[in-house]
Amino acid sequence: MTPLNQNVFYLDNASFFAFFYKILYPIEWLMTHLLVIFHKALTFLGFQDGPGAAWWMSIVLLVIFVHLCILPIFVRQMKSMQKMQAIQPKLQHIQAKYKGKTDPASREAQQRETMKLYQDMGANPAGSCLPLLIQSPIFMTMFYVLSSVSYVARGVKAPYGAFTVEVAKDFEATHVFNVSLASMFSTSGSSARITIGVFIALMCGLMFLQQYYNLRRNLPRESMQGQQYNMQRSMMFIFPLMYIFSGATFPFGVLVYWLTNNVCNLIRTIWQVEHMPTPGSPAAETRARRVRKREEERRKRKGLPSVEEEALAKAKAAAAERAEQGHQRQQPNRKKNKSKKNR
Amino acid sequence: MSVVAGAMIGAIRWYQRRISPLFGPCCKYYPSCSHYAVTAVARFGALRGGVLAALRLLRCRPWSIGGIDDVPRQFSLFYRFSWSKAHEEPRLTPLNYDLNDEETSTERSNRSDHHDASVHSAPSSL
Repeated sequence: MTPLNQNVFYLDNASFFAFFYKILYPIEWLMTHLLVIFHKALTFLGFQDGPGAAWWMSIVLLVIFVHLCILPIFVRQMKSMQKMQAIQPKLQHIQAKYKGKTDPASREAQQRETMKLYQDMGANPAGSCLPLLIQSPIFMTMFYVLSSVSYVARGVKAPYGAFTVEVAKDFEATHVFNVSLASMFSTSGSSARITIGVFIALMCGLMFLQQYYNLRRNLPRESMQGQQYNMQRSMMFIFPLMYIFSGATFPFGVLVYWLTNNVCNLIRTIWQVEHMPTPGSPAAETRARRVRKREEERRKRKGLPSVEEEALAKAKAAAAERAEQGHQRQQPNRKKNKSKKNR
Repeated sequence: MSVVAGAMIGAIRWYQRRISPLFGPCCKYYPSCSHYAVTAVARFGALRGGVLAALRLLRCRPWSIGGIDDVPRQFSLFYRFSWSKAHEEPRLTPLNYDLNDEETSTERSNRSDHHDASVHSAPSSL
């Protein structure tokens, strides 16, 4: 591998991606300002100015800030998951209608009717591809900003946004676990490599955990077979492995950013899967058991009859009523509405 | 179909075959966004189809409702609004013919005349 030319910022030079980075310049500018703002807030809170813990903490704060901005998008999606529970009977009606038919016309008709149902009820289990599409540019911007630090500090690249030369020098001199924020795996000594390796392993492990949660605990049991599921399962293992190799070429600041990003994603995924699971998935069964247990404990605490006792009492009352009035249903009469009729 | 349109459709088909299965189905609308893009480019050409596909990508957001969203038969940037000339109500049944292979009735009758005369002729130019 050719050594990186230390005198020219390589991301400005690589022809294909340089175009993207030029387009993303406003976001890069904004990110530098956000980093400096967070740093100022932290020094105001008492952290020391100059190179210090405040810089990598401002990276962490920036990630958390971005995730908080994105969170309302997911809240609406989670609410529509709850509505999915309510429309299950209609969904099963449609599935029963097309059960056993596998010709393309039936499949298309079934999908159309299902989608129309989602449209009418205002619920939709699929998330769009937008979160994926958004995370890539933001990651690319972060990568650019954090990679450019050492080049700005040395004066090779013109300072931009809030990254003056002093700011860049402070950034570069910050050390986390004895590893400078601007160093990469390929250009550091062995002790630094161990720290960087641990970070990369953590990052990939968290990514794997998140995909595991989504795949194994949030899919309905029926769709846990077939070619597509197997392909997704193999991707669950391969994706983190791919990132191990690219992680070796990232500056350490980017690894900090990415680790925090994966932690936030994992926390959000776990909360979403455990509290709003798709119907029929293993997570839904766990949640049903948890809800039932909590309900029984609540009734025991307050001295109310438990769920089973209440159901038994209701069944006995219904049987007694049937014994009295027979099995014939009583037609409701319209005496109540006679006064409302304008005759 | 122009070269650009063919290239775009080829790229989208490559994405559908290689990249999309790795992520699982995630589209909120009935013809998925890539399927919509292929139909739009085939029907309206590279530029107009590309614009329709881009608008559809902007429409597929986590907070949108989703549902059925076919490519309109007439081109209109506003076909999603109910006042648009190109607006179509969501169709619950599949068509038993492919709209992109539509022929006009004159072409159909010309072809059958040629067959009756059993004379080999060059295909009618569009």
